[in-house]
Amino acid sequence: MNALPRLQMSSVAKRFGPVVALTDGNLTLHAGEVHALMGANGAGKSTLMNILGGVISKDTGKVVIDGAPVELNGSAHAAAMGIAFVHQELTTMPTLTVAENMFLEDYPKRGPFIARRRMIAEAAALLARVGCQIDPLALVETLSTGDRQLVEIARAIRKAPKIIIFDEPTSSLSGPEREKLFGVIETLRANGAAIVFISHFLDEVFRISDRITVMRNGCTVGMWAKTETSTAEVVENMLGSVAATDRVREPFVSGSAPFLVAREVTSGPLIDGVNLTMRPGEIVGLWGLLGSGRTELVRALMGLDPLSAGRIEVAGDDGVLRETAPAALRQRTGLVTEDRRKEGVILPFSIAQNIGLPNLAQLSNAFGIIDARKERALATRLASELGVKAVSVDQTAGTLSGGNQQKVVFSKWLPMKPRLFILDEPTRGLDTGAKGEILKLTVRLAEEGASVLFISSELEELMRVADRYMVINRGRITHELPGSASHDALMASVSDERSMQGAA
Amino acid sequence: MTAELTPLTKQPETGGATDRIGRPGFRIDVNTLVLAALCAVVLGLLFTMYVEAPTFFRVNNLINILVQASIVGILAIGLSFVLIGGGIDLSMPATLALSGVIGAICMRDMQSAWIGPVVMLTAGTAIGAFNGYAVAYLRMAPFVVTLATMTVAGGAAVWITGSQSISDYPLEFEDFFLFRFLRLPLSVWLFAACALIAAFLLNRTMFGRYIRAVGFNPAAASISRVPVSRVLCLTYVIAGFLASLTAILLIARLGSASASLASDSLLLDIISACVIGRVSIYGGVGNPLQAALGAVAVTLISNSLNQLGVSYFASLVIKGGIIVLFVYLDRFVRRSA
Repeated sequence: MNALPRLQMSSVAKRFGPVVALTDGNLTLHAGEVHALMGANGAGKSTLMNILGGVISKDTGKVVIDGAPVELNGSAHAAAMGIAFVHQELTTMPTLTVAENMFLEDYPKRGPFIARRRMIAEAAALLARVGCQIDPLALVETLSTGDRQLVEIARAIRKAPKIIIFDEPTSSLSGPEREKLFGVIETLRANGAAIVFISHFLDEVFRISDRITVMRNGCTVGMWAKTETSTAEVVENMLGSVAATDRVREPFVSGSAPFLVAREVTSGPLIDGVNLTMRPGEIVGLWGLLGSGRTELVRALMGLDPLSAGRIEVAGDDGVLRETAPAALRQRTGLVTEDRRKEGVILPFSIAQNIGLPNLAQLSNAFGIIDARKERALATRLASELGVKAVSVDQTAGTLSGGNQQKVVFSKWLPMKPRLFILDEPTRGLDTGAKGEILKLTVRLAEEGASVLFISSELEELMRVADRYMVINRGRITHELPGSASHDALMASVSDERSMQGAA
Repeated sequence: MTAELTPLTKQPETGGATDRIGRPGFRIDVNTLVLAALCAVVLGLLFTMYVEAPTFFRVNNLINILVQASIVGILAIGLSFVLIGGGIDLSMPATLALSGVIGAICMRDMQSAWIGPVVMLTAGTAIGAFNGYAVAYLRMAPFVVTLATMTVAGGAAVWITGSQSISDYPLEFEDFFLFRFLRLPLSVWLFAACALIAAFLLNRTMFGRYIRAVGFNPAAASISRVPVSRVLCLTYVIAGFLASLTAILLIARLGSASASLASDSLLLDIISACVIGRVSIYGGVGNPLQAALGAVAVTLISNSLNQLGVSYFASLVIKGGIIVLFVYLDRFVRRSA
C-alpha cells in the first residue's frame, strides 16, 4: 500500500468547553481497505469520526483527502467530499417508504414535484447493490432492524462515496443480519471504498478488517495490520496497562452463606443463562467490554427488563433463600447507575430532599407530614460523612459536580442499610480524586456487610476493589476469577477464544 | 466524559414558585418579571373599571367576584396537583357537570338533600380514579385519556338529562351551601380552605414531595422507591374529587343542575389560572396558593370585561391571548436562566 492514502487525519484535537475530547487523533485510510477503529468509551472515536463526517469542526490538526488538505464545513460538505456516515442509531423515518427515506435530502424532481418513478428505480438499483430485495415502496416501520440498517447503507452509498464510516453497525443486529452486513462491506471494499468500521466486538474486527487503529484517552495509540497483532495486544492498548494500583483493600473471601443466587437468568436478546452468587461482605466485580451485556444484566436483575427464563433467590432475615421477583429485589437494593442526572438525583431538589426521598417514611409522622428538621439533620450527617462538598444541604443537586451528585446518590441509600448494592459504573465521568472516594465508599459498604456488585469498564478501577471477578461476554458469564487475578489474566479473559465466541 | 458535557440546563425547570434550582439571583428575576406583568394587567384593568364603571367596586360585586373565583379556584387547585405531577386533566369541567347532574337526579328521585353531595363526590372521585388508572397503570397519554373522558362525561350529562335542568330537589341542599359567615358564602371559605390544605399537602407532606419528584423525573423517582403509579393516579383522583366539590357549590348557587353547568370557557379559565399562578405545565413546579390567586385574577379579568360591555367572544380572545403571553414569558425566562 504505497499509493497515496485516501485519507490522512493527523494531530486532530477538539475540546468542548473545559473538556478535552480529543488531543491527538490520527488515522490513515487506504482505498480498498476495511479499517477498524477501536477504543473504550470516551477514547475519542466518535469525536474523530464526527469531525471526519463534518458533524463537528476540529480545533487544530490536518485532514488530507487524496493528497489535498480540506476543511470540512458541515455534514453536507463532507458528503460532497465523498464521505458517508452510517450512524449507530438508526436515522430512518419509520412512516416513510424506503425510497422516500433514501432520497430524503434531495429528492429527484420534475419541476416542483418529486419524480417518483425515477426515485423508485434509483432506490431499487441502490438496494440491489447492497444485496437486498426490499420493496422500495415498503414502509420502513415494517422492516427488521437489519433491513433498516441496509437501507441506511444504501442511502449512504447513493453518491458513490470514497470513504464510508460505519459506527457500531452490528450492535443491534442478529447473527444472520450481521453476516449479510459483512457481505455488503466486502462488496464495498472490492469496489475500492475506504471503510472505517467501529465496533466493540473483537471477533468481528478480526474477521473483516484489514488494519486496526486503537485510540485511548483522546489519542491514537497505534495502528497494526490485522495479521501482525493479536486480540490481547489490541485490548491491552485499548484499556492501557495498569500501573501498580493500590488496592483499597485486600481481596476478601466471604465464607458466609450466599445472600443472592441468580440461576440461569435469561433476558432480552443478549443475557443468556447467567448464574451468579453473591455473599455478604464481598465486592463482585463484573468485568466485560462495552456491549458485553453488563448493563443489560443489571436491568434484568432489577426487573427493569423482564426475565424470559431463570430465577433469582434472595436470603430472607432467617438466611433462607427464597425465590424473589426482580422488582421486589429492587425495593431492597441500593442502586447507583452511571446516569446520575437522569436516574440518580432529582436535579431541582435540594441535597436534603434528594437524600430524604427514599427515606421519607422514617422522616415523617403518622400523618405523612415531613419533619424538615429531621430531614436536614440526616442529610447534614450523611453529607459530611461522605464528604459532599456543598454550601449547605439546601443547595440544589443540579448545581453540584458529578462526584458530589454521586455521593448524594450513595447517601440516600445508607439510612435503610440495604444488603445488596448494585453499582453500575458509579465513577463514570468523575475526576481521579472523586473516583478514589467513591471506591473507598464502596469498600466501606462491603465492610458493613452488604453484597456489592461493582461494574466498571475501567479495569484498573475494578482491580482496586473487586474481591472476585465475573467475566461477561456477549451476555454469558465466561470466566470466574479470584480477586488475586492478574491484569494479564483479566485481559486474556475478555479477549481469548472462549470469550469471543461467547454467545455466537 | 459525556456526562460532564451536559450543562446544568438539561432540565428546563429552573426558577419556580418555591425553592427551585438555579443560581439564586435568577429566581427573583423570574418571579418579579411575571408578577410585574400580572400586576400591570390587573391594575390597568382596575383603573379602567374605576373610570368606566365605578359600581364594580361595590362590596356586593367584589363578593360576587370571590364567589365566581371560588369555582374556578377550587378546580385550578385540583388541576395544579395533576400539572405538578407532570400530567394534564382536561376533563374537570365535564366531570363537574356529570357528577352534578347525577347527584341532582338522585336528590330529586329520593327527595333527600344529603344524598346529593355524597353521590356527587363519589361520582367525581370515580371519574378521577378512571383517569388516574388509565394514565398511571395503563400508561396512556394523559392528554388523550382526559380528552376522551371529557367527551364521554360531557355527552353523558346531556344524554341523561335530556338537556333539561333539574331543580325540583329538596331546598335544604341550597340552604346549607348558601350559608354565609362574615358576609362571605360557604364556597369562598371552602376555596380558602382547599388552597391552604393543598399548599400544606404539596409543601409539607410525603405525598406532596412524591408528586413533585414524579413531576420532575419519574425515572429517578421510581429508583428512589417513590410509588410512582400510585402517586400519579392519586393526583387525578384529587382533581376529580375537587371537580365534584365544585359541582355542589355551583348547583347550590345556580339553584338548578344541568348539563351546561360547566360553561364552555371554564376549562380555559382553569388552565389560565394555573398558568398565571406559575404552575409549570412541564411538571414539578408550582404552588396551589398561587394557582388560587391566578383564579382570582382570571375572574377579575372576565368580570370586568363583562361589565365593560366587551362581548363574551371578544373576552375569550383576550383571555386566550393572556395565556399565550404567560406561557411565553415562562419559556422566555427559563431559556435565559
